Amino acid sequence: MLTTALIVLPVAGALLVAALPLTRVGSAGLAFLVALLEVGLWVVAAARFDFDAGGLQLGTTREWVESLGISYAVGFYGFSLWLAGAAVIVFAAAIGYALWAGRDRPRAYHALMLFLTGAVVATFAAQDVLLFYVAFEAMLIPLYVLVGVWGGERRLVATLTFVVYTMAGSLLMLAAVVAFGVTQGTFSLAGSGTSDNTWIFLGFAVAFAIKAPLFPFHGWLPLAYRQAPVEVAAVLSAIVSKTAIYGFLRIALPKFPEPADELSVVILLLAGAGLVYGSLLAFRAPDLRGIVAYSSLAQMGLITLGVFAVDDLGLDGAVLQSVNHALVSASLFLLVGMVERRCGTGDLAALGGMARGRPVLATVLLVAGMIALAVPGSTTFAGEFLIMAGVYGQGWGYAAIVAVGIVLAAMYTLRLISAVLHVRPGPAVREETLDLRPGELALVLPLVVCLLGLSAWPALVSQSSFPGNDPVRALAEELG
Amino acid sequence: MVAGAWFCLLAPLAGALAITLAGERISRRQAGLVSTLTTFAAFGGALVAFVAMWAREGAEREQLSTAYTWLAAGDFEVGLQILVDPLSAVMMLVVSGVGGLIVWYSLGYMAGDDEERRYFAYMSLFVFSMLLLVEAGNLLLLLVGWGLVGLASYLLIGFWHHRPEAVAAAKKAFVMNAIGDATFALGLVLLVWQARTLELPAVLEEADGLSGTIVTLVALGLLGGALAKSAQLPLHTWLPDAMEGPTPVSALIHAATMVTAGVYLLVRAHPIFEAAPDVQHLAAGLGAATLLLAGLVALVQWDIKRVIAYSTMSQIGYMFLAAGIGAYGFAIFHLVTHAFFKALLFLAAGVVIHHLAGEQDIRRMGGLRAALPRTHVAFLVGTAALVGLPPLAGFWSKDAILASALASGGALGWTLFSAGLLGALLTGAYAFRLYYAVFHGAPPEVSPEPHGPEAAHEPAHGEGPLSMLVPVGALTVLSTLGGLLSVPGVWHPFTHWVSETAEALVEPSTGEDYLTSLVAVTLGLAGLWLARRAFASGRQLVTSPVAWRALEHKLYFDELYDALFYRPAAALAGALRREVEEPVVERSLDELGAGTLELGGGVARVQSGLLRTYALAVALAVFVLVLVFVAVR
Repeated sequence: MLTTALIVLPVAGALLVAALPLTRVGSAGLAFLVALLEVGLWVVAAARFDFDAGGLQLGTTREWVESLGISYAVGFYGFSLWLAGAAVIVFAAAIGYALWAGRDRPRAYHALMLFLTGAVVATFAAQDVLLFYVAFEAMLIPLYVLVGVWGGERRLVATLTFVVYTMAGSLLMLAAVVAFGVTQGTFSLAGSGTSDNTWIFLGFAVAFAIKAPLFPFHGWLPLAYRQAPVEVAAVLSAIVSKTAIYGFLRIALPKFPEPADELSVVILLLAGAGLVYGSLLAFRAPDLRGIVAYSSLAQMGLITLGVFAVDDLGLDGAVLQSVNHALVSASLFLLVGMVERRCGTGDLAALGGMARGRPVLATVLLVAGMIALAVPGSTTFAGEFLIMAGVYGQGWGYAAIVAVGIVLAAMYTLRLISAVLHVRPGPAVREETLDLRPGELALVLPLVVCLLGLSAWPALVSQSSFPGNDPVRALAEELG
Repeated sequence: MVAGAWFCLLAPLAGALAITLAGERISRRQAGLVSTLTTFAAFGGALVAFVAMWAREGAEREQLSTAYTWLAAGDFEVGLQILVDPLSAVMMLVVSGVGGLIVWYSLGYMAGDDEERRYFAYMSLFVFSMLLLVEAGNLLLLLVGWGLVGLASYLLIGFWHHRPEAVAAAKKAFVMNAIGDATFALGLVLLVWQARTLELPAVLEEADGLSGTIVTLVALGLLGGALAKSAQLPLHTWLPDAMEGPTPVSALIHAATMVTAGVYLLVRAHPIFEAAPDVQHLAAGLGAATLLLAGLVALVQWDIKRVIAYSTMSQIGYMFLAAGIGAYGFAIFHLVTHAFFKALLFLAAGVVIHHLAGEQDIRRMGGLRAALPRTHVAFLVGTAALVGLPPLAGFWSKDAILASALASGGALGWTLFSAGLLGALLTGAYAFRLYYAVFHGAPPEVSPEPHGPEAAHEPAHGEGPLSMLVPVGALTVLSTLGGLLSVPGVWHPFTHWVSETAEALVEPSTGEDYLTSLVAVTLGLAGLWLARRAFASGRQLVTSPVAWRALEHKLYFDELYDALFYRPAAALAGALRREVEEPVVERSLDELGAGTLELGGGVARVQSGLLRTYALAVALAVFVLVLVFVAVR
């Protein structure tokens, strides 16, 4: 029941926010309250979860369309519980940011954000392919509107590009879902066996590759991340991208072991190419959002390398890094939003010198940036090392690519930090430009504290992601 | 023993946290006191560990202590653990002891700077990270300390972040070290696959069982990290630029401790390097090359701190040479004495810089003997110790390294021995060139506008407050007497202690020792004589203009790397953006989107655009579905 409650709470909150005739602050505040309650509910779920036991937990199954073998089946494994946890925390921060920044038409806006929260949690919890598809699609509708209505100047083009890409992915996935259900005789993930059909696998894989996005399916990314309201960009890169990782881990790998094995070289090569390509573009991006956006592309490549290493270290590392990247990317996007609000621009050439007299902004950006570039000792370093070690089993070249990524990450992240904080103040930075306000700090600090806590103990996530801490066996036996 | 080591590790961390969290609730001076006291508390912990170890025997002296499992995946586990053994005990003492003196000195040196609290928080973070590096009980945790000292170094080089030079230097240091971190991590990945553990000393015992190729690659990976951290060829270019940081930072991080971490790694992981002798010899060769190159470049530098920085590179070259031929005890011995006399030189230079209101150009110095008599003595002791004149610290440690090279014999041994002797001549020349330029001759006319990172300082007449004088005095004493811990033919308590962790591969005979000393001291004095003669006649040591220009450009390494790596990478990234990302990836759908928009028309553009796309999508979906069904059947 707890899982269902985690899905229903934000959706009910969305209806409530949309229906109640509250003031601007009232509806935003109510939405924030619901988002915080959702975090609390997740904490209860995590406390009830038995990480040692393994298997699906907190599950609920109801027949939906019996004749077609469609069911409402939800529940969590270790890794999906962690992904959902990162999601609800990031959503709380994003909704809080929207409350702070004050969005137009707040009832519609916050109803959509809460609905999106519910859809994301449902995606992470789904144990039926058709339900997964429905939840996956349900995320898109609020995203289209959030970018299309509340975005920047070129929001329409951004939305349309996003729509075209994601619809293409959705169609492929719908075909794959139907074909999978028909051939298996059921849509239930628990009830179905494995399939060796390469085409169905490809349908899923391409849909996930677009959603993550993976190189070269990322055409929608630069526009969407630049034009979306900054907290929506944060949600897109931090959380929505991770639904693709969940799809790889829950469906593409365990249900299609043979096609995944055959095509893993292609995916690994694309992921490695994306890691280098994204890092290089981040290094040359002229604006703050560009750097964070392309670094996300690079990070998704890295995580995919870990997934398709199909190795204990790689899989655990991929889950850990997914949680890390969710928190890092959300922190960075929100900080970028705070800088943009002060200076009216995210153009690197117009910024600079903000460290002097703004110690809180400097400290928080520095800490988040250092974790983003995976300074040794950080939880991102732990994730990266596991992925590097895991993917070495697929060939030393992949490990070398990860090593190149470490150096490039240092280059583009230091560029971002210095462009904002160091040397002379740029034309957009005035003497009276404020330091972070307590309200803003209260939004970013929890994310950074989570990251520091994970840095002290990354094993919390990495050793509890798969039953028995045995990822490869779990994929083959329990999830397959 | 273990408790002392844990206390030693955690005290500076507590200091850094306390200063950061207290913010403006404590005064600048209190922040400095917290940092100083916690560092000395760490020294106390190290002493306790050392004394407890002293009382034990043999295998009892080595203990691994695990707090908890930091990282786990599958059957692979990494603990937050420390290894307390003779080698780490020595390093703990040096890091916290010299560190405490330098942080104390900073109290006086940084007084009046805008952001003293930030400075002391960073310093404490550094001391913690360095202690983590030397105490780490597994190689991954060692890499964590390795990376965190790099972070602290980045923060402190760029401490005056309004200066573009400081920011550029900090970034350069970080990226160069990231290259080293990356090869280090690759080496560890190989070890994980072979041994399934990174725990010390267990993982080192696996080295013998590894295949030749694997162990060579592992050793190369570790060596890459060591070269970057210790500023050895070919990853050395960041260290001179790092002098943009405050002078006590240069003393602590870029002379006494962090930059010698590469030597520590070579000694700590010696079984791996011994299993890959080619890589070990490569380390020795690169050390020899670096000591010569840095010695030459030091001859033509004008910045007081850069001369000392090049001498640091050169001296670490000696340590790499020693570690590369298996003279582990002497490598660590030189590491320790170098920490004393190089910290002394930097701190004395700091007094000079303060006195001259931030001036660092030695052409605008001279005759300071009269104004700074005590600093003059300290600097002279540091210089003589650096050159290796008896009976000062550097004499005992450097000559022992050269004698080991002689003892190891063969073509390699002789080459290294000759390079080391030539280095001794160069050291005498550049070190006394600096000494004469600063303390002798006529005082220059007072420069109206001092240049350099510390130019904002008020001129401090006299030799500074007690907090600066006492550390300088203590280091003067250590630089004078520190070498007596190992006297050839008399006693070797120091090397004997270290050999419990790393048994030396070569042992010079007493005869070789005395012969080497005779030649090396003669060459050092010859360098002194050259410097003195050049100074007296007002000429430079390098007279050929071509050679001068090449050395002034540091033999064009920066330009070479710029052309080889940075510019191609930047050009590739720019080309990808212009040729691939914008026209192909971004614009392709731009046009499609714009077309759809036009179809929609008017205010309802979004909606109709969406609807049309959906309609199109549904039609497509049906089509694909049919295709799939056909394919599946």
